[in-house]
Parts: sequence; C-alpha cells; structure tokens
Amino acid sequence: MERKKFHIGNLTARQRKKLHMWLRAAVQLICFLFFSSAFTAAFGGVKYIAVQLGAGEKVEWTGFTTALAGLCGFTIVFGRFFCGFACAFGSLGDFVHRVYCQICKKFRRKPLKLDGKWSTGLSSLKYFVLAAVAVLCFLGIYPRLRGSSPWDVFSMICRGNFQLAGYIPGIIILLLILAGMCVQERFFCRFLCPMGAVFSMLPVLPVFSLSRNRETCAPRCSACTGRCPSDIQLPADGSYETPGDCFQCQKCVDTCPKQNIHCQGVEGLRGNEAWFTVVRSGIFIAVCIWIGI
Amino acid sequence: MRGFWIKTVSLLGVVCVLAGYDKVLAAREKDEEIARLNARVEAMEEFLCSNMGTQAEEETEKETKMDSIYADGEWEGEAQGFGGPVSVKVTVEGGKLAQIEVLSAEKEDQTYLSMAEAILPAMRQAQSPEVDTISGATFSSQGLKDAVMQALEKAEK
Repeated sequence: MERKKFHIGNLTARQRKKLHMWLRAAVQLICFLFFSSAFTAAFGGVKYIAVQLGAGEKVEWTGFTTALAGLCGFTIVFGRFFCGFACAFGSLGDFVHRVYCQICKKFRRKPLKLDGKWSTGLSSLKYFVLAAVAVLCFLGIYPRLRGSSPWDVFSMICRGNFQLAGYIPGIIILLLILAGMCVQERFFCRFLCPMGAVFSMLPVLPVFSLSRNRETCAPRCSACTGRCPSDIQLPADGSYETPGDCFQCQKCVDTCPKQNIHCQGVEGLRGNEAWFTVVRSGIFIAVCIWIGI
Repeated sequence: MRGFWIKTVSLLGVVCVLAGYDKVLAAREKDEEIARLNARVEAMEEFLCSNMGTQAEEETEKETKMDSIYADGEWEGEAQGFGGPVSVKVTVEGGKLAQIEVLSAEKEDQTYLSMAEAILPAMRQAQSPEVDTISGATFSSQGLKDAVMQALEKAEK
C-alpha cells in the first residue's frame, strides 16, 4: 500500500483555506496564553519615552523600550504579522467577531456591519489616540487617569485579577470596544489601537508584502478587498508599497478565486504560505523570549 | 517605494533625536557630578582644617540609631500586586533598612516586575517606603510598596 505524501500543493483550495484558518487559530492561542503582555509592554515603551521626555529625564533601556524596539524591528522585516497573529487584543477581536457572526447565523439574522464610508474615516482615529496618550504622558497627567484604561482592565482580567472596583470607566470603554468588535472585524486594531498607529508609520521592508497580478484578475472582482478586515486594495505587481493597515492576516490569499495574490519578494512562497506562517511564528516567539516578554 | 523611504527617514529622525537627547542629558549629568564632587572635596578640606567634625558625626550616627523605630531583624510582608499577591523580606540592621528582597511574585509579569523592582533601591535610599511608584509599572511597584509597608509595621517597636 502506498501512502500519499502530505504536500500543501496537493490540497484543494478549500482544504488549504481550512489549514490556514486552523494554523492561525493555533498561533493566536499560543501567543494569547504565553505572550499576552507583548502589546502592553511595547505600548508601555511608548508611554515611558513620553513620560521621560516630559520630565526631562533620560530615556534608558528598560524592559518596555526593549519590547517596543523588538516588536518594531520584527514589524519592519515581516510586516504587521504581530497584529494579525500574535497580539492578544487582536485575537480577542477576531474571537468576538467570529462568535457574533456565528450567533447571527444561528438565529438567521444578518450581522450588523459598519458602513464602508465610516470605517475609512475612522481609520485615522488611532493616530489621535496615540497622540492623546503621548501628550497626557508628556504632561504627567496619565498616571492620574488610572482606572480608565481598557488595556489595564483587559490584562487584569487575563491575569485572573478581578479587583476592578476603581476601574468603572475602563470597563465601560472595554465593553464599548467589544461591541465595536462585533460589528466590524478588527474594530480596535483598525480604528483605535495606538500601537497599530506606531506600526503603520513604520517602514516595512517590501520583501514579504503581498501584491496581486492585476492582469489575470477576473473583471470587476474585488473579493480580496471584500475579505480584507481593513478593506485594502492590494497594490499591483511591480509596486512594492505595503499598506500600513495590512495585518498580514493572509485571508486575501485564500479568497482570490484565481490565486493571484502572492508575495513578490520571494516567489517561492506562493502556495507555501502555511510554512511561512510557521517560520514567522517561530521567529516571533524567539524574539519574545529574547527580549524577555 | 516612495512611502517606504519617507517612513524610513522619519524613523531614523526619531531615533536620532532620542539618542541625541540622551547624549545631552548624559553630558549635563556628568557636569553636575563633577560640580558635586568638587563641592565635596572642598567640604572635606574644610573638615580637615577644623578637625571638629569627628565628634559631630558620631553624634548624628547615634541619633539615627536612637530615632529608628524599627527593630532589627528580618520582616516579611505581603500585598496585592498586579496579578496577585507579592511578598517581600525586609532586613533591618542597626535600625536601618539594609536589604529588601522579593520573596515571591508568581502572578506578576516579568517585564513589569523587573521595572517595578527599581522601587526597592529607592526605598532603601530614602530609608522609607514612602517613595513614588514606578510609572509604567504602577501596579507591581505599588504592590511591592504596600508589602514593604506591611513588613515594617511588624518591625515597629
């Protein structure tokens, strides 16, 4: 009896889509369990820098600035893979959105969705969030606002600490964000995340960025933009622009009916995206351990 | 590609500004250190000339000993940190806070705990737990502070 060798190339499009979905879920779960503080630590670095500048103190290498530099370095090379696969808040958003859609399906209701015009406008809100937090830290007001940060509430709950008496504003904001996550995929990441604002201002090396072979696209097809949580219109081959809002979730790759979407920097990756995901996750985990998250 | 270069230049700009800022502060700190050491040398010279200080110094030492409200020994305290309880051990020697160490903080995040631990030398230097918490690691450092306070309550005579 001859055993058929497992090869990603032999899978049907549907099987491949399933494989990618489960792989992503597994990576998100692992990162949620072991590196859930990566986001807060890196953002702590941003706040620390603002606080030190405001107080006229030296900016030193602390655990926070190392986390910030490590994640920024990773993003420059691999794009916002951290956002798509590893960030605890992103995973929470994916989970909430999925549960909401499943519930709607069960009750045969059409899920509410944020209008496209709104979401394009709201995308720049995250820069204001970043600027506001930075200014508050710079002026030294931020520590006094303790209790209104949804991130604190979230990470306290994650740690199993339920002494949330002084955190009513934070809880309310977190609940609003959760409601937003239902009606728009990646609501927080796209509109509010200050770390996302930092990441989308970083230059991403065009090696692993995705693009599409426009010539072979089906006429008037916009399946990839429709599937994209950020409604990105991918650049055509030859342009090495990486959209700042791309979370590298790779959903577009599986959605394209003509398999036109690929990484033009490394052509060998076409069809082997799953392995690339495994490699990137491995490197991400290595970076996390190295910088001590 | 244009966007990429613009972003690269801005990033380099930010990094350079931060590095330059640190350099300036380091230079200023060095100047202050030199001024401080100079002042100390002058004070010492004066002290040698007058030769009166020995007695005075002994007296102050005795005074601190008399003033200390803490009994010598090792005292343990526990308080709520970020994720759970943290416990510390305070060693009092000669009425002074000689050593503070973290006994356990299993539920604290490693990155935050390492930041928060900067509060321990600050408390030793101030000889009091009443110091500012570490910004960015407020919860963990507040936990350490509360734990030390609790330990010192036991140490009070």
